Amino acid sequence: MSPSVGRRRLLGYVGTAVAGAAAGASAGVVGAQALDDDGRARPGAPAPGADALPRVVPAHGPHQPGVAAHLSGVTELVALDLLPEVRRARDRDALARLLRVWTGDVESLTAGRGAPGDTAPWLAAVADLTVTVGLGPGVLGEEWGIPAPVGFAKVPPMRHDRLREEWSGGDLLLLVNGADATTVGHAVRRMVADARPFAALRWRQQGAWRGRDQQGRPVTGRNLFGQVDGSANPRPGTDLFDSTVWIRDGAWAGGTTLVLRRIRMDLPTWDELTRAEQEASVGRRLDDGAPLTGGHERSDLDLAARADGRWVVAKDAHARRTHPSSHGGRRIFRKGANYEVVTPAGSETGLLFQSFQRDLTDQFVPIQQAMDVSDALNEWTTAVGSAEFAVLPGFAEGQWLGHQLLG
Amino acid sequence: MNLSLPTPARPASPGRPGRRRSASAGRAGRRTGAAALALVLAAALAACGEEVAPIEPTIDPAGAPAAADSLEVHDPWVRATVGADDTTMTAAFMVLDNTGDAEVTVTGARAEVAGRTELHEMAAVDGQMVMRQIRGGLVLAPGRGQMLQPGGSHVMLMELTEELRPGDELDLVLELSDGSDVEVSAPVKEFTEEAGHYHGDDGHGDDGHGDDGHGDDEGHDHGSHDHGDDGEGDEHP
Ligand code: HEM
Ligand SMILES: [Cu+2]
Repeated sequence: MSPSVGRRRLLGYVGTAVAGAAAGASAGVVGAQALDDDGRARPGAPAPGADALPRVVPAHGPHQPGVAAHLSGVTELVALDLLPEVRRARDRDALARLLRVWTGDVESLTAGRGAPGDTAPWLAAVADLTVTVGLGPGVLGEEWGIPAPVGFAKVPPMRHDRLREEWSGGDLLLLVNGADATTVGHAVRRMVADARPFAALRWRQQGAWRGRDQQGRPVTGRNLFGQVDGSANPRPGTDLFDSTVWIRDGAWAGGTTLVLRRIRMDLPTWDELTRAEQEASVGRRLDDGAPLTGGHERSDLDLAARADGRWVVAKDAHARRTHPSSHGGRRIFRKGANYEVVTPAGSETGLLFQSFQRDLTDQFVPIQQAMDVSDALNEWTTAVGSAEFAVLPGFAEGQWLGHQLLG
Repeated sequence: MNLSLPTPARPASPGRPGRRRSASAGRAGRRTGAAALALVLAAALAACGEEVAPIEPTIDPAGAPAAADSLEVHDPWVRATVGADDTTMTAAFMVLDNTGDAEVTVTGARAEVAGRTELHEMAAVDGQMVMRQIRGGLVLAPGRGQMLQPGGSHVMLMELTEELRPGDELDLVLELSDGSDVEVSAPVKEFTEEAGHYHGDDGHGDDGHGDDGHGDDEGHDHGSHDHGDDGEGDEHP
């Protein structure tokens, strides 16, 4: 926990505000956001062994921290569109001002404080919160004077796609991840409200991930098919991760690109499969995520392995189709958020599939195309939304998000 | 109602950029009473147009710990005036922490874009919320924090010479009783609550910030209430 937060939680602001004159009298204390129910300051340091306790993820650095951060419980992806007048005028200055406003929001909200001007600062909390900001295709390119990252383009249409406009596209992205839906939702509402002079909400997509075990230790987590999902990812902090994810040169250095695919998963038909069929569709075991060719969760698949004259990992197994060795070593860094949207009409289940890569066209597209040609998972999965964003580089204290591109 | 809580330890890092600090001997002697403050301020403002210092805190070369070194400013922001009924005034909000061992008093503020700047608080008077100048400045006991926020205390910026658009940065200087300054760079934000909660019907609106209120050198009490005449709200434990 960063020092400023430890302090912040101890301090306990007490405002002089009378929240609504109706409160009458002279008191009406508000703003004691850092206090517990007894009005006592909360201890700043986590209890021993409490690895699972939410922390502050520092907002500053060469990269936006939300990309590499271990997934906390709740993810919201939020797309906004610039207001017509801002878009028509190609108003770079307005875009820069929005990013400045958001910078302050990100700094305070992720630290567990209300945003400047927050109407409900009590909803802010230390919650592993990260807010990752990106720009969509509509604000990149010559017209805006903002070069798109190398290889940045819309994902070409796939045969299996059933894309819906209401889950696709967008000029601006907020990718918000945190320990609980209350904190995440508050951050989203706050930042959407603060964007009002510049941009309007296009869509919000919410999902969840169980990235920790009972002891609070980080684990890979599972999608709604029950599969351990993310095992073969490059590990943050490694050279492989850095070369897969971060843009190295130019104004976007330190940034990356994100493809979001909203992928519907047909659980009732998946449930009809035998466990062996389910495992064969990917090439990994359901219980621990280990390859069918042996080893443990982190082990690579042995794609050459044969038994009884057949491939152990089937030809159309998802992990074979997407494996780096099938793509000249090309990799992506995947994150997920399981969603289940329940309406009176029924429920839709699926995965908010997030792919981060330095070069969208070179890395993501061939893998996605290979899946589209053939992949066992296609039978139970359908992309119903798609969006692409260039994720801004990080910023240091005193700087603002996007200054490298708009400053 | 200015309750505060103790701060145990000095933090290692401030919360938000935009905190700037500069020592300025020229501001000494601003320990005037509230009634006189406005006049002095108006005069002083003419001279204020100094360049803003870089963000890194500077240590007073003289060695004496300036009050500015103890005052931390977090999450400052200023309400945008674009689209407001009255675009000649607005308010700045922030969180102030006194991280030092001595009392810190914010006596005033200045900003290039504002012809007049005052420290205001809200008070209930006859069941009505009114704003008035903070008597004796904003006093922060050692280790105490104070929020300036809508509906509460704020830095009132009047006679604005520019429209403030969301996302603009406004440079503001807080003046402390020992003559030191704290420079704050605050983003301008649209105010998303109903305007009436903050300024409006009962406060600046009715009794006219524009003409008979702030525009006039002694009318800073927003509706005929003397500054602190009831002592309410000015206790700092
Ligand atoms: C709902 C849809 C999807 C499901 C349920 C799913 C599930 C899985 C599972 C269980 C694994 C094995 C564990 C792991 O390494 O993470 C895996 C691996 C992988 N998936 Fe997916 N996936 C889906 C969509 C996609 C998409 C759209 C892409 C890219 C276009 C993709 C690319 C990959 C890659 C690159 C691997 C790692 C292969 C390896 O190196 O072994 N997946 N996926
Ligand atoms: Cu006022």
